[in-house]
Amino acid sequence: MNIRQWQRVSAAVVLASLGAGLAGCAGVEAYDRDILARPDMQIVTDPIEAAADEHIYFSKEASSGGQGFGGGGCGCN
Amino acid sequence: MQLKKRKHCKHRRQMKQIGVPLAAATCALLGQAPGDVKAQELAPWDIDTSLLIYSESDSRVQDLSLNAIARKELREDSFLSLTLALDTLTGASPSGAVPSPVPQTFTRPSGNASYTVPANEPPLDDTFQDTRTALSASWEWPVTRLMLLNVGASLSDEYDYTHTGLNAKLARDFNDRNTTLSFGVALASDTVDPVGGSPVPLAPMLEQGNSANKRGSESKDVTDLLFGVTQVLNRKTLVQLNYSLSNSDGYLTDPYKVLSVVDPVTGNLVPGPAGSGLYRYLYESRPDTREKQSLFGLIKRDIGGNVLEASYRYMTDDWGIDSQTIDVHFRWNFGEGSYLQPHVRFYSQNEADFYHTVLFNGQPVPQFATADYRLGNFDGLTFGVKYGHETKQGEWSARVEWYSQTGEPDPSARVGVLNGLDLYPDLNAMIAQVSYSFGKR
Repeated sequence: MNIRQWQRVSAAVVLASLGAGLAGCAGVEAYDRDILARPDMQIVTDPIEAAADEHIYFSKEASSGGQGFGGGGCGCN
Repeated sequence: MQLKKRKHCKHRRQMKQIGVPLAAATCALLGQAPGDVKAQELAPWDIDTSLLIYSESDSRVQDLSLNAIARKELREDSFLSLTLALDTLTGASPSGAVPSPVPQTFTRPSGNASYTVPANEPPLDDTFQDTRTALSASWEWPVTRLMLLNVGASLSDEYDYTHTGLNAKLARDFNDRNTTLSFGVALASDTVDPVGGSPVPLAPMLEQGNSANKRGSESKDVTDLLFGVTQVLNRKTLVQLNYSLSNSDGYLTDPYKVLSVVDPVTGNLVPGPAGSGLYRYLYESRPDTREKQSLFGLIKRDIGGNVLEASYRYMTDDWGIDSQTIDVHFRWNFGEGSYLQPHVRFYSQNEADFYHTVLFNGQPVPQFATADYRLGNFDGLTFGVKYGHETKQGEWSARVEWYSQTGEPDPSARVGVLNGLDLYPDLNAMIAQVSYSFGKR
């Protein structure tokens, strides 16, 4: 397999794993969410750092976004 | 599932659901007094600030960036967010031209001056200097008990670039708030007004004072769509999966990048337009549309009070670029409100279909061509660490990271004198950031 095929297979494996995980989840009651409610368990823990990194990598690489919208709005790429 | 809004004791809805005794217990766990919970009190201003230094080695780009995000609950569960970013950029940026055994002279983008690069040195345009101001505002409110809408606008201005944008994101909880589906759209309309005008694509560089190869300002529009699902797997684990689609339409070329034209056998530079006194360099040309798609998966898990966060992104576009990104943070909580967070990020992309390290004299000029290293074949590595500490007033943190890129030129470019020259210089940068947040507690 060439590198592109490997990349596609990797993406498919990740997707399949996530799908299996989602299908198998039983859910957590509201009263059991003490851990999930912690600030350090939020999806974006530090928005200012996330925005800074998005801006840097948008400026230096051909890819952007994924978790949120791409770090556009600058003439750096 | 809007977990972020439920952090600490400020999410009244959850408090009502789970009852006062558990609320008190949760508050105790989080270090807050139950008396802090007041049903009708709106959350105060929550402000994040940071100073960031991004510094590339070899006198390349230096960025000093000030950032602030302010968030305020103006009505129950409805939040206004304002962001501000100020960037000051200086330094040198690779022009796209390759080094040569002879000194090379280039006309500056303004067309009013020129600069000379010594033999065997990578051509860097050292006039790179800009300031950027970016502002955005968004308003988030619950449309229904389980649905949250966020709408926003953004604006940024640089010397040669203006951006305006609108965005909206709708999130709906399902499955007892264990599952959140979200959909977002962002529209941007940008204007590019390059210093000295935008070059005619693939036109040769001309001598100082000759602007026959330049045009006026250009524009582009970008539409981004995002579909996401966030799922609670168990008491300690969350996952997120996003698919995003981005369409760009308009001027996508970098007006400051060129390609060297060399002899296909000797690798020597060839003379430019008669009377210019320059070697032959052509301004780059990119397609005027681009469609990017990406898949992003993230897992976040509590491990004995610490947090592991790992994500993977696969991106593909119709310029022939595929990329993969793996990003891992581990937050080690220790002591009273302190944490240490190592971070590593791996990135890999292949080159665009129209990436050429050089163009060869005597061969047909392709319709599209770029030698911009950012559209080349390279790997990136980031590693670093962050330290944070909570105080009664707020939280401060400091991080330092190192970012490097190692790329490969086109094998076909290694002809004659170009053998042995560094045709794809490494990029090495340091990122240092100090942040302070207050008002949350």
